[in-house]
Amino acid sequence: MQKQAEDKQQTKDPNWSSRSVGSNWQHQAFYLAIKLGGRRLAYLMLYFVVGYYVLFSRLARKRASHYLRRRFPQASGVQQLWHCYRLILAFGMVLVDRAVVGIMGSESFETCLEGREELLKLRDENRGLILMAAHVGCWQVAISALGFLQRPVHMLMRREDGDIDRHYYEHAGIECPYQIIDPTGYLGGTLEMLGALKQGHIISVMGDRLLGSDRSTAAVNFLGETVYLPFSAYKIASATGAPIVAFFTSKEGPVSYRLLLAKVIRVPELPGRSAETFRPFVAEFSAALENYCQEHPYQFFNFFDLWLTQPQEMSAHKE
Amino acid sequence: MEIKAKLKQILIDELNLEDLSPEEIEDDAPLFGDGLGLDSLDAVELVVVVQKHFGVEIKDMEEGRPALQSISSLAAFIEDKQKG
Repeated sequence: MQKQAEDKQQTKDPNWSSRSVGSNWQHQAFYLAIKLGGRRLAYLMLYFVVGYYVLFSRLARKRASHYLRRRFPQASGVQQLWHCYRLILAFGMVLVDRAVVGIMGSESFETCLEGREELLKLRDENRGLILMAAHVGCWQVAISALGFLQRPVHMLMRREDGDIDRHYYEHAGIECPYQIIDPTGYLGGTLEMLGALKQGHIISVMGDRLLGSDRSTAAVNFLGETVYLPFSAYKIASATGAPIVAFFTSKEGPVSYRLLLAKVIRVPELPGRSAETFRPFVAEFSAALENYCQEHPYQFFNFFDLWLTQPQEMSAHKE
Repeated sequence: MEIKAKLKQILIDELNLEDLSPEEIEDDAPLFGDGLGLDSLDAVELVVVVQKHFGVEIKDMEEGRPALQSISSLAAFIEDKQKG
C-alpha cells in the first residue's frame, strides 16, 4: 500500500524508486475491502499491514527515517519506531481516502478551505496562479476542491512506469479533472506552464521535489539542515507575475480534510537564473512547509532523502 | 541591426553566454540540448527577453516549440509577428 511519493527523476539513485511498494494483489485487496466494508475495514487492515512493514521492512523504516530523525531529533530508537508506525499509518490512510473518494464519491469527506476569499482575489489579478503543494496530506483533495475558482488546472506531474497505485478519478472511471504537464516533455513543460499562466489558468507544482530534467535548486534550511529545493517555478512566477500560493492539505479527522492557503509568495521581475536570486522565495516556501510539519508531524509524505546532498551529486549516492 | 545579430547579442548578454561571441553562434544550431546547451529555465528567460526587446509574445507551446529551435527560426517568428 505504500507509495513512495517521489519522482524517479529527482535522482538517478539506483536504489530509489517512486513505484508502489506493495504488489498489485495487495492494492486490489484494499480496493475490495473499501467496496465491501468501506473506509473503516480498509483502515482496520492498515493497522496490521503497516505494523508488518514497520517491523520487517528495513527499507520502509529507512525511508521514513530521513524526515523523522530531523522532526524528532531527540527520540530514542523505540520512539522512532513508534513515529515511523504513525507516519506510515497516516500515509496509508490518505491513500485509502483517495481510493474512497473515487470508489464511493467525494461526498464521503468534508473539506474545510481556509483562504477562499484570498484565492479568489489572486485569481482576479488575471496573471494565473501557481499552487505550490508538497508531499503532505492529500493533494488530490486540494485539486478536487478548486472548482470554485472556475479556471482550468494544469498539474506538473509524471507517473512512473509500474506505478500501480490508482488516482481517485481512475477509481471513479471519470476523465482526469486536470490537464497534466509532463516535466520530462519538451523543455520540461516550461512553455506549457507559461502558456497556461498567460491565459489566467492555475498550475500546480510540488515545491519539495525536482521533476524531469530540472536541476535548478536553491539551498534552504528545512528542519534544521540544508535541503535543495527546485526554483524553476519561482523563475516562471518572476517572468509572468503570477503569484505563488503555498497550499497544503491536512487530514483532520476520519472523514475531514483541511485545505490551507499557508503563504502567498510574490516574486518580482528578476533578471538571470541564479539560485541565489531565487533563494529568499524558496526559503519562504520552506518555512511555510516547516510550520506545517510542526503542526502535523505525521503528514509529511516525502520519503526521499531531501537532506542527502546536492542534486548533481545524488547519482553517486547509495543507500 | 538585423534580428539574428540582435538575438545573438541578447543571448550572450542576458543568458550568460559571455564565453561566446556572436560569430560563434550558428544561425541554425539548436538553441537547446546539444547546440547552444540552453535549458528549460533559459527558455523562460528567452520568452521574456524576446517580449522585452522585440515586443513579441510567445504565447504557448504551439508557437514556442517551432520558434525556439534556432536563431533562424526565432528570427523568422519575430519578423512574422512584427509584420502581422
